[in-house]
Amino acid sequence: MNPILTFIVILIGFYGLSTSDNIIKSVFCVTIIESGVILLFLNLGNFEGGAIPILNDHLVDIVDPLPQALMITTIVIGSTVTALSLMLCIKIFHHYGTVEWAEVLRREDVKS
Amino acid sequence: MSRRLFLIAMLGVLFVVFTLSMIELESLYNNYGMRYFLNEGFDDTGSRNLVTAILLDYRLFDSLFEAGILLIAVSGVIWISKHDVEEKNAQFMLDKYKTPDLFVTFSRLVYPLMLAFGFYVIINGHVSPGGGFQGGAIVATAILILYYIDGNKETNIGLIVTIEKIIYLLIILLASLSFFTRGEFFTNFFVPSANPDLKAIYLVLLNVFIGFKVALGLWTIFTAFLKEGR
Amino acid sequence: MVDYILNLTLIEITAYALQFLLIFIAVAIVVHKNNGTIIILIASFSLVTASLYIINNAPDVAIAEVAIGSAIIPLIYVISISRQREFIVLDKAMDDFIISDNQMTGIGFILLKRFSDFYHLEINITNDPMLGKVESGRDQVLLEETNVDLIVTKDPDHEGGYLLKGKASSLLLNKLETMLDDYDNVRMIKYKDRDIGE
Repeated sequence: MNPILTFIVILIGFYGLSTSDNIIKSVFCVTIIESGVILLFLNLGNFEGGAIPILNDHLVDIVDPLPQALMITTIVIGSTVTALSLMLCIKIFHHYGTVEWAEVLRREDVKS
Repeated sequence: MSRRLFLIAMLGVLFVVFTLSMIELESLYNNYGMRYFLNEGFDDTGSRNLVTAILLDYRLFDSLFEAGILLIAVSGVIWISKHDVEEKNAQFMLDKYKTPDLFVTFSRLVYPLMLAFGFYVIINGHVSPGGGFQGGAIVATAILILYYIDGNKETNIGLIVTIEKIIYLLIILLASLSFFTRGEFFTNFFVPSANPDLKAIYLVLLNVFIGFKVALGLWTIFTAFLKEGR
Repeated sequence: MVDYILNLTLIEITAYALQFLLIFIAVAIVVHKNNGTIIILIASFSLVTASLYIINNAPDVAIAEVAIGSAIIPLIYVISISRQREFIVLDKAMDDFIISDNQMTGIGFILLKRFSDFYHLEINITNDPMLGKVESGRDQVLLEETNVDLIVTKDPDHEGGYLLKGKASSLLLNKLETMLDDYDNVRMIKYKDRDIGE
């Protein structure tokens, strides 16, 4: 596991987030960034020759269980946040008739 | 175009900074916490799976509020998708959504197996990989299959959310029980000197409650989406 | 460098291969234009990340990722993307403007068909009795509180005329209005957003 390769995934997500013109595309990119961050955290606790953090009768070297416990919460919350933002996307489409960032912002300017 | 080049340059700077700080990060990290969990984890909590031990005992405060965030997100989804006028089951003239028969038959075969696997993952959360959050997601996926079998299935979202809130209160009560036995909130309610096998009862109970709560929460989320899709 | 590559164990080679695959899928998600293909890519993305979690000795996290990332997340993406191309019409006129002789061949349907084909929309017409009962004074409320994009009613001022009602904020409604020039007996009413608290 190479953390630098994982960081490239996060950077790709940031690039997509700042250049995407579609709102749903932005939500996809947030998912990518999230997966990259989880991989980075797990990589922090992992080391060569470590075993999974489940105790056996004989004592072995295990990897750090703390980042894993934190990342389970991240996955569950990330899914609900995705659901919330997608529900907002549906509402935006029925209100503005489009899901392009530029069009939505332009119509918001016309109104005010 | 120049804006995009500037963006790539900024990301490149981030990349270089991260690469340089990698060495520092490794020297910063220590394994004292891991040593502690390895030596004391089983006797403290009664859980062979140390991730479950951290989720349900050492850092129960975190998990409780994670479940709370799940509840808040579910409420948000319902509130956004809420319509005052009754249009949920409007019949469209062009109905082109029909599930293939083969898929329905296989869904019927797979559904009880998935449900059983979900409960297995929930109940064995303290001795094997799994636990309330993962098992709840599997149970929710099994329930999702029900909607493929019967597309016109009606679900009372209000009732599900009420049950979910009650279960959340039960989780908080169960976690606070330790105040009477140990004198501190949000930990195991058996005394610290109890047999580790006895302490596992608390873990199984809490796992089952959290599993049901997560399953109901995810069920509500995709029911709201499926109704939006009609 | 060559020694390092030759001394890699099988699990390390797998980890490197999966990480390059992850980068490849991430790039594909970012550059791809078709949202339908992206759903397949995001499902495979979560499967690859789940295998990387296993390699990182984290089976708990992998189970959570597979359970959530491979079934529920693609489902909600599929639904929200299919909603993205949908235009819901509520038919309150109940005569041969849209349906004539139990077939969708009315003038109004041809107009809407032309409109939806031009903008690649998927048109969905309902004449649900529950919604049809709502009196015409509350049409604005109906438009704001449900997902209905357009309401078709009879014009009370002109005999044989029809009214199309929609939200002024919607881009599609403005495009539909420009297509109405060929039709003499069809008018359009656009409701502005009300202030909150009104």
